[in-house]
Amino acid sequence: MIKVKNLTKIYKTPIRKTNLLADIFFRQYKEKTALDNISFEINTNELIGFIGPNGAGKTTTMKILSGILYPTFGEINVLGYFPFDKKPEFLKKISFISGQKNQLFWELPVTESFKLTKEIYQVNDSDYKKSLSNLIDLFNVNKLLKQPVKTLSLGQRMKMELINALLYNPQILFLDEPTIGLDIFSQSAIINFIKKYQKNFKSTIILTSHYLQDVKKLAQRIILINQGKIIYDGSLKKLTDKHSNKKIIKIILDCEIPKNFLEKINQQKISYKNNPPLLEIIIEKNKLSFLIKEVINKLSFQDLTIEDEPIEEIIKNFINNQSKN
Amino acid sequence: MKKLIKIFFLLTKTSIQSMLTHQIGVITFLLGKILRFIFYFSFLFFLLEKTKFLAGYNFNQAIIFFLTFNLIDIISQMVFREVYRFRQQVISGSLDYYLTKPYPIFLKILFGGFDVLDLITLIPVLILTAYFVFQIPNLLLINIFLFFFLFINGLLISTGFHILVLSSAVLTSEVDHSIMIFRDLSRMGAISMDIYKEPLRSILTFVIPIGIMITYPAKALLNLLNLQSIFISFLISFFFLFFSLKLWNLALKKYQSVGN
Repeated sequence: MIKVKNLTKIYKTPIRKTNLLADIFFRQYKEKTALDNISFEINTNELIGFIGPNGAGKTTTMKILSGILYPTFGEINVLGYFPFDKKPEFLKKISFISGQKNQLFWELPVTESFKLTKEIYQVNDSDYKKSLSNLIDLFNVNKLLKQPVKTLSLGQRMKMELINALLYNPQILFLDEPTIGLDIFSQSAIINFIKKYQKNFKSTIILTSHYLQDVKKLAQRIILINQGKIIYDGSLKKLTDKHSNKKIIKIILDCEIPKNFLEKINQQKISYKNNPPLLEIIIEKNKLSFLIKEVINKLSFQDLTIEDEPIEEIIKNFINNQSKN
Repeated sequence: MKKLIKIFFLLTKTSIQSMLTHQIGVITFLLGKILRFIFYFSFLFFLLEKTKFLAGYNFNQAIIFFLTFNLIDIISQMVFREVYRFRQQVISGSLDYYLTKPYPIFLKILFGGFDVLDLITLIPVLILTAYFVFQIPNLLLINIFLFFFLFINGLLISTGFHILVLSSAVLTSEVDHSIMIFRDLSRMGAISMDIYKEPLRSILTFVIPIGIMITYPAKALLNLLNLQSIFISFLISFFFLFFSLKLWNLALKKYQSVGN
């Protein structure tokens, strides 16, 4: 469905000098490689998460795949088309949504934008009514249809953006940070919606998000990009299983920490944070049984939980290690 | 084609609906346009009352040039109003969305903001033009036809200018100043090009084809244009439009979009 080979994108930005005349007549440019010779393939009905730090090249990749940007080098084939050619047959099969941008008519009720989408994508009346009613039900936004877009909250607007983008059942959905800035309720509604939509319509979804929990809930496969290069392509679970060797133990204490317990963990060079009554210990997996024994034998506590290392931390460490290599 | 016309009408409808949410803006905009027209018209009237001739043209002839300029200027603004909003669309990232829509991009960014207020100001100018045209002595039907074709030709040049402004906005995020330069240059055609000395006259006629865009249709109406000039004017507008479309395609390839 999507084949990308040796894709490179170089941005040129002017170098500002102190001399105004030189700036105007002898402007020089510096080049920034946003994507550096990347290759990957995406199959039908996959839900892929593009993750990486700011400026890694995630959005650039999506914009090239959807035909917005022209690649500097490389071969790109999306549904049999070169995206930048912007063939209407191709554009009718894709949808691009960005959580930070608005494509609805700002001053008007959202139904006006829906009507325009219907005409642009030539959706017939019965399909339009069916799609619209399904999507409205999924998001439960019936009451908001007559409100001008500018009066909607960010979460409500994002739901409408999604409805507008899905009215014509696109085969490929590009979602750029769809949950950015949303509260936990809207975030969860959108994540559940994307999940259901992909299951029901068998579409291919390419998602970028800084909220790794979103990616974890949705994506079967992730492509991790850093400094324009793909540093990991595979399952998120495999990555976290392989690269997480720490556990976090949280203990709500009944009493002060005995000295002999502290001596023991200091000897083992185990790091901890003591904010009475909470004691938080970050420990390597191989020392877990040792520590549990010590806790049970020496501490009096109300509650104890063992958690995985946060996914953000694992990815951060992985990226840092890759950068060092 | 039917689909494109339908989309155009929907875009126009939404543009009018959006505009009507700003009523005070609508009133001041209309007032400004009417006052500017009246002031310039009065200026020409009082000037020619004293001088009798302007670059060899009498009052009625000078007014034909002025009205032709107004017709092209108003129609251009009416049809290409969206160009004036293009900078915001580039810097807000809305252009990214338009580039993913399955219709010709110009339908949105060039023609997508049809301005009904200009239509209101167009009607009196059309009536005035008809009045002064029928004052022309020995007016021939062929002159009216030639005026019509050269007028369309002028609008094609105006289209080319607006595409150049869009291209410059994609490359530099700059619209406001380039559109003002275009407006100022075209305003130089409010009176006949004959008022300017060489080489400025040739530059304004053939290089920056303001003369062909505005003065030539009026000259055709006054039976002052030879066949050679008519042929050259069509040729120049073709190349000008071709050049602006080439630049637009280049600008799209260089487009960097806005980051998150």
